[in-house]
Amino acid sequence: MPNIGVYVCHCGLNIAGTVDVERVVEYAKNLPDVIVAKHYKYICSEPGQRMIQEDIQAYGLERVVIAACSPRMHEETFRKTVAEAGLNPYLLEVVNLREHCSWAHSDQPEKATEKAKELVRMGVARARLLEPLEKRVISVEKKVLVVGGGIAGIEASLDLANAGFKVYLVEKAPSIGGRMAQLDKTFPTLDCSACILTPKMVDVAKHPNIKLLTNAEVTNVSGFVGNYEVTVLKKPRYVDEDKCVGCGLCTEVCPVEIPDKFNEGLSQTHAISIYSPHAVPKVAIINPEHCLRLKYGKEVCGKCLKTCEAKAINFEQQPENIQLKVGAIILAVGADVFDAAKIPELGYGRFKNVISNIQFERISDASGPTGGKILCPETGKPPRSIVFIQCVGSRDKRFHEYCCRVGCMISLKQAILAREKLGGDVEIYICYNDIRAFGKGYEEFYRRARDLNINFLAGIPSEIRSAPDGSLCVTVYEKVVNKLLEIHADLVVLSCGIVPGKDFNKISETFHVSRSSDGFLLEAHPKLRPLETSTAGIFLAGACQGPKDIPDSVAHASGAAAKVIELLSKGEFEIEPLKAIVNPDFCSGCGICESICPFDAIEMKAETVNGEKLVAEVIEVKCQGCGTCASACPTHAIKMQHYTNEQILAQVHAALIAKQEMVK
Amino acid sequence: MSLVDLMSMAKPNEELRKKILQKLHEELAYCFQCAKCTSGCTAFKLLELVPHEIMRLTKLGFIEELITSEIIWTCATCLKCVERCPQNVSPYHVIIALRNIAVKQEAKIPEAYLKAVSQILETGLAQTIEKVTTKKMESLDRQKLHLPEIKHPTETFRTTFLKILEGHEL
Amino acid sequence: MKLPVFWGCRILTSQYAYEMSIRQVLPRLGVELVDLREMHCCGDYIKSINMFAATYMAARILALANETSIKNLLVPCSRCHFALSETQHILEENRNLKDKVDALLKKEKLNYSSDIKIWHIIDFIHDVIGVECIRQKVKRSLKGLKFASHVGCQTIRPSSIKRVDNPETPRKLDELIKALGAESLEYPEKLDCCGAALMSSHQEAALTLAGSKLKALQELGVDGLIDSCPACHTIFDTKQESAATTIGGKLAMPVLYYTQLLGIAMQINVEKLGLHLNQSPVEKILEISSS
Repeated sequence: MPNIGVYVCHCGLNIAGTVDVERVVEYAKNLPDVIVAKHYKYICSEPGQRMIQEDIQAYGLERVVIAACSPRMHEETFRKTVAEAGLNPYLLEVVNLREHCSWAHSDQPEKATEKAKELVRMGVARARLLEPLEKRVISVEKKVLVVGGGIAGIEASLDLANAGFKVYLVEKAPSIGGRMAQLDKTFPTLDCSACILTPKMVDVAKHPNIKLLTNAEVTNVSGFVGNYEVTVLKKPRYVDEDKCVGCGLCTEVCPVEIPDKFNEGLSQTHAISIYSPHAVPKVAIINPEHCLRLKYGKEVCGKCLKTCEAKAINFEQQPENIQLKVGAIILAVGADVFDAAKIPELGYGRFKNVISNIQFERISDASGPTGGKILCPETGKPPRSIVFIQCVGSRDKRFHEYCCRVGCMISLKQAILAREKLGGDVEIYICYNDIRAFGKGYEEFYRRARDLNINFLAGIPSEIRSAPDGSLCVTVYEKVVNKLLEIHADLVVLSCGIVPGKDFNKISETFHVSRSSDGFLLEAHPKLRPLETSTAGIFLAGACQGPKDIPDSVAHASGAAAKVIELLSKGEFEIEPLKAIVNPDFCSGCGICESICPFDAIEMKAETVNGEKLVAEVIEVKCQGCGTCASACPTHAIKMQHYTNEQILAQVHAALIAKQEMVK
Repeated sequence: MSLVDLMSMAKPNEELRKKILQKLHEELAYCFQCAKCTSGCTAFKLLELVPHEIMRLTKLGFIEELITSEIIWTCATCLKCVERCPQNVSPYHVIIALRNIAVKQEAKIPEAYLKAVSQILETGLAQTIEKVTTKKMESLDRQKLHLPEIKHPTETFRTTFLKILEGHEL
Repeated sequence: MKLPVFWGCRILTSQYAYEMSIRQVLPRLGVELVDLREMHCCGDYIKSINMFAATYMAARILALANETSIKNLLVPCSRCHFALSETQHILEENRNLKDKVDALLKKEKLNYSSDIKIWHIIDFIHDVIGVECIRQKVKRSLKGLKFASHVGCQTIRPSSIKRVDNPETPRKLDELIKALGAESLEYPEKLDCCGAALMSSHQEAALTLAGSKLKALQELGVDGLIDSCPACHTIFDTKQESAATTIGGKLAMPVLYYTQLLGIAMQINVEKLGLHLNQSPVEKILEISSS
């Protein structure tokens, strides 16, 4: 029987404040095979770890039981501790005396101590049966898939490409640039968004390590960390990317008008067009739902075909399925803007002069539908009064409970731009709950807005009505001066919040990433691991993890790139041996395990040449050690490494016996 | 509570505050004073009802000044505040609760409500049966209009109703 | 089909035209109305006095409805409809309260049941009878007439419990008016409250609210206001003159119950529809529709 050492941690007062650790140690000493039992204030500390290492040498320990906080905290640390002392790291058992004992029973110290003794007895029973295991090393692809070509995707791609990794940047729109490309100026510096973004977009297009796939979506992901197999569907543009020079003549001759998505419906574009003013790649695209030839047949229209001098138009173009092998995936899929039509009383959709903040950006942008002039959509005239309404769809239990983080700064910026473009006579009001100006230079930006005669009204309107003179009637209770104010506004801008993307369900399924309760993609830990997901090898960058402004998106994206570099830089990767393992002699080839494995980690392989007898084989790298297969196997042919039936049952026995002597 | 209103030297009523919060936690606790309810309040312009202010006063416990005031009786019960509140709180329900407390504490309440109570005790209905006069100066009642007779409730209704009004806790 | 109906205080004691028009129209749509064994207040007035008493009263009405063994109840008054619907919701959520109320009702040999479906005239006719059926029953089209619909606040709010129509964009009453061939206008004041709840304690404010809405409609040139609640109708129709005096203007807006308008389109005798009881100038509608 192996020599077992038991170490009970005080964890300061976290454990020792409730559990009498000395009595637990005394008890442990009397358990069979336990040759040393000690207690210590903080086992995770340097001296604590050293004590264990010295004992391993001195006593020839073959198993170590550490009774301390949750294994989720320090099991990794302690495994390294014992490994350094020459003991296989999987011969360590961590017993949870904190979350499972002292914290849960802090008002019953006597009973907690008894329970602690039993937990240690159970731990020793398992430790006795633990087997040494080895981590496996697998090789990884030094290629990365970045999904989403907004500022986050662009930043991550450039960081990775510059570090020497091959990057596939997949963007579902015909051009990269995302939301940032739609902005006029950025807060708080009022940098022109396109001016700071387009150089990066061009860098991406030119970078030898980046393969840009636009008008494309990821349709399937299989494999495992370090070895993902991805299918990308490149949808047809009906324009040859290598031939098109982006002259735009095709757009001018196209007879079909459709709402311009990039301009948020404020203007029309054509069935063939270039997606955005600074598109990368600058290649036209035909919308198959509106193009007459694509809808009705070969003889119809074709004006663009005749006009194109580069002969780039190809109505026969087919969708392409591209298979990629990558080592890691970064999701930089961005987010959407709240649809204010969900709040009918604000008049969005009914009144043309009630617009969203993203629509205001397009109006203000020099390359937008009005050439950068602030004009009311209904009349085409400049507004004499503008009202901004904050928190539309945000901080609202009926829609999205969270604060959208950027709404205040966006409205401050838009109010300042309106003042600069329209001059001193325009009345500008911002109806707010709170002004959140938290970042670097943000509070100073708020002061700048106050300096420009922008009126701040502390109160939120209940509804917007149309006045007989055609203006919009906004009634709001200003709670600082206690007056009900009525404003006749020419233009109302709704500060719509950032919301999870419509296709997040599909993203969630395709990439096996979870979503948090607010609908954004779920990070591995909200405080300490904001860039990883719980799926190894898949990382998050930018607003898809939660609403962010540009500086935070860029920082987040660079962080994700760094995580990928950490993962892939060595070219290989260690995986935990806590997997299922099949004993082929017991396997009846029934295939139940293969069908129920939630991770597609079991394959039925033909044992004999003619394929008659099938044997289950676990794909170690995909296996997550959940144990579903082992419990379903009718012949008990599957063993869970480090969680064998014998080990678990020994713990159960140890829990149930009243006497201190162990029954073999 | 160690709080005092320096203008009136009034202190919050801790007992009533706890009681109301216990009963109406969902309808009261989460108000973050966006004032949207008041912006759209039917009774604000004519009667100066400020629902968000009543919410904050109630939460702080300044309940006595509310129940002795006429203001809590100005609510038109249109329910717009309940519908549009971004935190799902309900000034309407809080106002009704304050009215109930006013009655219990025997504060002054509009006569019409007391009339309704006595009418219900008499006939089961809250209003007296009326004759209607047409433009042709005809005076008509249910019988003349061939409408069925009203079936009044049994005595058990009256006694139970009275018992509740007299003794049951809010 | 048999349909139990709970009229409520206002209809039984003064708003006879509503009851008359409903009793005329529904049987012609295949509905046999069943009166409850007893009639008493739903508790609307009592909410401000004692919420528990009000809950008891509403629950008692539902228990009386339960005696008919028909799991549907028509409630033409918006105040009663809210009182009963909210009580149903509260008793569903609060076990403790339900037990207390059950105990009181059992002493009176009454059984409360939570599965009564509460209907208003608007959603009953729109959802159950159907707009198409109404269209087919029209004998005299009201084409050329332009109306404004008024849906009682407590019929459509709060949407956290089941209400009769969408709280911000109610359309059912408009569709029912259109089914008669007439137009139904969208107007800025559509969701404005009639003020009836303030009539007994703050009469001037109440009449100002009603009067302002009527004035706005007058300026829009509609031929009439169509309502579906005895509280709203009292202040818009019966008290229209007082409202005019209060706001210091002239008001001559015909105000009809929807069931009266439907009756006109079905060519039911106008006296049977109680149109002689309306105080507002409804003759105008009758003139136009018979020309």
